[in-house]
Amino acid sequence: MLTRDFLKLAGLTIAQRILPPGLLNIWAEAAEAQARGRKVILVTFGGGVRTAETFSPAGLRNIPRLAGLQKEGYFYQNCWNQGVLSHFNSTASIVTGNWQRVDDFGFQAPASATLFEQYRKARKAGPLDAWVIATNKSFAAMGASTERDYGLAHGANVVLPKQLLLDAVSDIVKKPNGGDVADREAVHRRLETILQEGYEGVGWTIFKGGRQMDQHVRNTLTRALGEFINGPEAPTSGDELTFFITREVMREFGPRLILVNFWDMDVAHWGSYSLYLQAVTKTDRLTGMLWDEVQANPKYKDQTTLLILPELGRDGDMDTANGFLNHRSGDASCRNTWLLALGAGVKKGATDKPIRHIDVAATAAAMLGLKAEGMTGVAAPEILV
Amino acid sequence: MSSPPRLDFDHVPVTFAAYFVEQLRGWDRLFPAEQDYYARLGAYLEKAPAGLFARVSELEPRMGVTERTWPRGRFTLEQVDFLNRNPLYAEWRREIAAIFNEIGPALDGAVKGQRRLVIVMAPGELPVGPDRMWTRLPAGRRVRLAVPEESAQYAPLLLTGKGKPALAASLLDLCAGARGPHTAWTIETGTALLACSERATRLSYEQLQNYRTRLMGEVQKIAEEGEVRGPRQLGEKLKTLQPRDSEYAGDPLVAEFIRATLLAGNGTLLLNNTFVQWASVQALRRARPSCLVAGFGIRNKVKPFSGLLIFTDQEKATAIPTQADMLGSYVDLEVFYQYIWQEAGKYVEYRRETVFLFVAEGMDEMLVLGPPEFRLPEGELRLEAVHGACREWLSV
Repeated sequence: MLTRDFLKLAGLTIAQRILPPGLLNIWAEAAEAQARGRKVILVTFGGGVRTAETFSPAGLRNIPRLAGLQKEGYFYQNCWNQGVLSHFNSTASIVTGNWQRVDDFGFQAPASATLFEQYRKARKAGPLDAWVIATNKSFAAMGASTERDYGLAHGANVVLPKQLLLDAVSDIVKKPNGGDVADREAVHRRLETILQEGYEGVGWTIFKGGRQMDQHVRNTLTRALGEFINGPEAPTSGDELTFFITREVMREFGPRLILVNFWDMDVAHWGSYSLYLQAVTKTDRLTGMLWDEVQANPKYKDQTTLLILPELGRDGDMDTANGFLNHRSGDASCRNTWLLALGAGVKKGATDKPIRHIDVAATAAAMLGLKAEGMTGVAAPEILV
Repeated sequence: MSSPPRLDFDHVPVTFAAYFVEQLRGWDRLFPAEQDYYARLGAYLEKAPAGLFARVSELEPRMGVTERTWPRGRFTLEQVDFLNRNPLYAEWRREIAAIFNEIGPALDGAVKGQRRLVIVMAPGELPVGPDRMWTRLPAGRRVRLAVPEESAQYAPLLLTGKGKPALAASLLDLCAGARGPHTAWTIETGTALLACSERATRLSYEQLQNYRTRLMGEVQKIAEEGEVRGPRQLGEKLKTLQPRDSEYAGDPLVAEFIRATLLAGNGTLLLNNTFVQWASVQALRRARPSCLVAGFGIRNKVKPFSGLLIFTDQEKATAIPTQADMLGSYVDLEVFYQYIWQEAGKYVEYRRETVFLFVAEGMDEMLVLGPPEFRLPEGELRLEAVHGACREWLSV
């Protein structure tokens, strides 16, 4: 018997003796999921939202879509962020399965391998199979880590719609005779120009022949811009463009792994509770539209799991200097939020059992049939049935 | 102005001492209440029980605190970053809170009691009645008011007892005269309170427009020129942008307070009510005024792409006309009333002998929170009567 085969057999034997039967089932399920072509979409309520404004009795009115979908999925009412309470580190912890302590403003990539890298490397998946579409414009480095043996070659494509918008809108305002940012045509023209000329600065990591964006990708994104600008409602924010780009990427490339980071609710830092609530409701609506797309798109229907969670909460009203405006206190309102799992392979239910942010990547990895390497987080058995 | 006390922090763990050392370094930029606090703290620490800092002293090496990562007496954004990203941050924070829980009562015991008054004024345009006002506050006492026909008379009647501002009877001026500078403050979105006092510390979001516009331009320029790497470096740069005399002609201590308030976060620069709330909270925390009047207004609706054009003049950025957001302002203010009231409750000066009046221009009802010793005549009251009761309460 070859040593490798011996070890494999020995490992399996040991596993059967020391691992709980449930965990063995997870791997069996995971392997099956791989065969079925399971897809995973992580949706983060970026910027941070408290349970008080979402899944509390008083908060449900702000999230009518998720409140309705809660019954269709599995709901964790305690999802803990035990790491650094900055945006980049919070989301990086979610996608790596390890608490990240890198630069708070995205000047450093995650220090351990991301789910995207692990997935692409293990499955030899192509560059169009893993995407990060993030309204937070400091997430350019979210797709790949500095971990040896991984890195950009295995990373996700990162698109930063808000940066794209920012460039377009700023350019219009700077026009000598004064531009009007409410002029849809002007915004559209400028967006397309930026896409043609300056994509490197807005987060694209897809290159063909070194520095040229893949024409297929460019056409897809241009189409998304058109949908965004000419949609029924006046486009106003980065999150809407994030949705349209995500939808177009799903329709065109059907990737198996996507992180969608909505962000508008970080307007809370401006100190307007009403604007914060409006942003929460908008994110709820866009997340609902994403779920609708999963249901309507044959590439995703019945084979996709959505894992929806806030990247962090916000400070509580009672304990801290300025309540919902900030997210640095470390109180329970800031660290403890929720997670809703929806779709393929997810039974209906709810639990008050805690789950940690770092468990999300391990869970998603299991859903994709991967044996994640080097993750501190562990897969959540409740949603791997 | 007094000189800083000579405090010996050498026996205090560096992560605890650093913040206070930094505050003492900027002694001239501290309000008298702050100076008094640090003097009391220093005196306490010199005689502090040996075990007070034991757990933090034990924690620091495990956190990686060394002379290199944290030179004694240094407290910059690097140290803040060090703490925030440290795996033991939560534990450290708990231990620091425990120390303050220990110190607090001892320091509070030395504070001399004094009657105080906080008035929070809502704008008359809010689209709700008294039954939907102040919903996040304790029930308190609802008092019926006879309000003037002309809303412009509301603030003068309440604060000076006359329909037109009469400074001789201004609660604020009387308080400032009796208790010293920085003991009476008005903080408002508009300019109505400016005329009700001339000795109080007076801040108006509207009046600071030139300074705000210049700050936004400077921030935009800094961001575009790419001279700074991130928000931390930006913060350092912004510390140099003091108001000019033409933008704020007041004392340097308040000028620095204004700069810090406007640059503490985007909101104070952009939204009038956020400015009033944050400045009020900071005034309570730092200056501990005996009389504070916070005057809120209506904020404008946010225009398309405002989130992308934070430091751009919104009037020039879009042809869409500016519109007032009445309902949004109402929702915002309900939270802000709560936050101001809560903030005051954190400090011993406001816990026992403070009267809070929550009023709204033109509204025939007000909410009173305070001790039973604050007496008001029975029945529907004229604002002059409320003024009289406040004056009696403050003994001015």
